[in-house]
This record gives sequence, structure tokens and C-alpha cells, in this order.
Amino acid sequence: MFSMRTLKTSEAAALLNVSPNTLRAWERRFGYPKPQRSAGRHRLYTHGEVAALRDALQQGLSISSAVSRAREALSTDTHTLVGALASFELDRADSAMEAALALRSVERSVEEVLLPSLDELGQRHGIDSAPWAFAARWADSWLRRAQRLAPPPVRPLAILVGDATRNEPDPDALAVRAFELFCGRSGARVMALPVAGLSDVVESLSPDAVVIAGSHVPDDDVALWAYRVRTAAGPLPMALFRRAHHHGAMVRTTGTRVLADTPFGAHRQLLAIVDDRRGDRFGEVAPAVTRVGDVEVREAQA
Amino acid sequence: MRRLRAVRPVEVDERGLELVSFCGHCGVAPAQDAVQQSRVCGHCGLGLVLQAPADVAPRGDEPFLVIDSTLSVCAVSAQAEELLGVDETEAVNQHVADFLLPADANAPCADNLLVLLVEAASGSGAPRTAIVRPRQEFGVRFRARIGPCGPPHAALLVLTS
Repeated sequence: MFSMRTLKTSEAAALLNVSPNTLRAWERRFGYPKPQRSAGRHRLYTHGEVAALRDALQQGLSISSAVSRAREALSTDTHTLVGALASFELDRADSAMEAALALRSVERSVEEVLLPSLDELGQRHGIDSAPWAFAARWADSWLRRAQRLAPPPVRPLAILVGDATRNEPDPDALAVRAFELFCGRSGARVMALPVAGLSDVVESLSPDAVVIAGSHVPDDDVALWAYRVRTAAGPLPMALFRRAHHHGAMVRTTGTRVLADTPFGAHRQLLAIVDDRRGDRFGEVAPAVTRVGDVEVREAQA
Repeated sequence: MRRLRAVRPVEVDERGLELVSFCGHCGVAPAQDAVQQSRVCGHCGLGLVLQAPADVAPRGDEPFLVIDSTLSVCAVSAQAEELLGVDETEAVNQHVADFLLPADANAPCADNLLVLLVEAASGSGAPRTAIVRPRQEFGVRFRARIGPCGPPHAALLVLTS
């Protein structure tokens, strides 16, 4: 289901007949091709992106216009998916995602094709329409299937997600599913529960972080749930994802972190928060340094 | 035995005009002895190597734009980016009139800037000149050399002082 061919920098450069330095210069100037990183932090380019650029370069008048044409070629997957879902064709929707996965990682396929397609359908038909309901159900099922096929947890990291969404018809619910998928694929053990219940889950999961995701459940209920989690598990990093009215990096009153709106950005932030906390706890790393303009701000140690 | 110097045939277009090669970003001509395996400029790596008649092609650091037959901007040289205050990545696919307008009120209708560009982009126009000004800027005028370039067929607009 999730096969994607990737190229190392030297391989991608050879395919485009340019030097690796030129390829890195293009990444800085044009933001394309956009590599992922391997476990060793090396660039990994998706073959589809590089091939699309190679074809566009042959007929282009500039690198910019070739990049624009290559991007356009890749965006056809979104058009196909929107068309399939709007006409209630499950098989064609699955095929569109297969095509997207041939060119991109799972994370980018979800962020660049699946979620934008659902956004477009929601804007076009409204989220109380039949096409939206159909598309949301299909997307939810696709994301859950992808989660089941994710590799088993390899990191000593458990994340408890308090699901405060309204479920399928709620656009945030798909972003939360995607967030769970990305965390799972990065090796973490993820458990999502409605914010209403807790039972013995905290003891059995021993979470390293808690995320409250979605805006449907009112603040009072969420606060009560968070209090019960803290009581059971002690002080844990707590973060908000897609919780309306909470913007900026942190909730001023509670110190709860507000994660980025995109599932991929949010999952990267959460992993960084947990890693920072572990570093602080064991004294392995220096205090985090944030750049504000030209000034370095060192976070105060607890 | 007398040694013969290696010579390179002069490339000419269909009208017999000598063609010169240059990078669509930095304007630098590719090294003559370099084997052209890639269209990407070996000097800056940020442009594709294009060809144009010698009397139209940019000389030195003259700023220039490349425009296709739909009058969309396809390339903006580094000098033109600086001169017009635009970024190529944002200018590409926009209409040329978003950046440059004809500035010669006395020019006859047939010599309209856009007509010249379309002719040049079709590869049929002979090199011409026009007076242009940056959009939303008055009192600044440039003489523009316009002629065909490519591949593929496009118009080259070189700004001269």
C-alpha cells in the first residue's frame, strides 16, 4: 500500500544532470524538490518529484517555470481525489491516494493530497453535505487503515490523545487522525480516547505526553479530564491541537503548549517537547535556545 | 605536419542569424569547450541555457526577461530582479504587463509592446526595440531590445539604459 521510491542527493542530482550543490541551491531558492530526511538526517528525494522536474526542465525556459510546471503535475492527484470523492467513487479515491503515495511519503500524501482535498470538498459543498459526509468517512477509514499498517512502536514514547472532536463530520477529526498516524509512524505508542473517559488507561499506557485535540468538547469538560490525567499520571507535558481560541505557542494561564495546526508540524513539535523534557530531566542537553529576531533567548531551567 | 585549430561551427537560426547561448538567470554564456549535457547553467546553477540572435542576446550584465506567447513571464534575470524589485519565483506565470508597460506614446499601434512580444515569441519577429517603463513607476524609462529566444520559442526582452 505505501510504496515510494526515494533517491539520495547524488542519485537525484544525477537524474537531473546537475551537481548536488545545485540541487541544494534549488531547495533554498525554489523550495523544490523538497526532500525528507533519513534517520541519519540525510536528504531523501521522492523519485516522482525529481522525475516531474526533469521532464519540466526539458521544455522549460527557467528553473522557476519548470518547478511551477512540476508542482502542477503533482497537484493533479488532489484534483483526481476531489473528483472521485465528489462523485462518490471509492475505488477511484483509493487509486488517487495510491498514485499520490507513489510520488510522496505517507505524511506528505496526507498533508498535500488527502487533507487539502477534504478541505476543498468542505468549502465547495459545506460540511453538512452528502459529499462531505462520504468523503470524511472515506478519509477516516483510510487514515485508520494506514495506522494499522504503520510499523510497531519502536520509541520508548507513549502519547495519550484526548479526542475532543465531534468525530467524522468534524474537519478537525481528520486532522487528529492524521496526527495520530504520524506519531505512530514515528515509532510512538499512541492511544486516543474521548475526553469523557479515562478508566485505567493512564496506568496501562504510562504516557509521556498528553494532547487534547479538537474543539467540540467544552473547556470545562476538557479541564476536568486534564485534571484527572494529571492526578493519575503526575505532571506531564500537555499540549493542545486544533483547539479553537488557543493560538500562539502557549496557553498563558496553564503553560500548556499549543501545537501547530498541521498534523505533521504538530507531531514534530510534540516529539521535540518530549525529547527536550527528557534531556532536561537527565541533564543531557543545554537549555533550549530560541531565536527571536537577532536575539537568542534561553529558556529558564525549572 | 601542420596542426589544425579546433573550430566550433557557428550556430545560426532559420534566417541565418548567428545565435549565442546565455544563462536565463545570470546571463553568462556557457563555456565554449564545455560539453553541454545539461540545460542548467554550470556557472550559477539557477537558470537554463537559452539561445538568441547575437544582436538581441544580453551583453554583460544587461537585465532581461523571457516571455512566452501567452505573454506570461517565464524567466527574470538576476539583474532584472534587482532592477524591477521582483523575485523570479513570484513573477513566473504572471502577465508581463504586471511588470512592464509601453512608455512611448508616439509609437504606432502596430509597434505595440505586446504585439512585438507575441511576434518574437512565435519565433518570427525580427529584433525590434521599444520604450518601456516599470508598472506603477513614472519617470523611469528603459529602451528594450526584443527578439526571439529559446528553446522552446519565447520572446527575450533586454532592458538597456
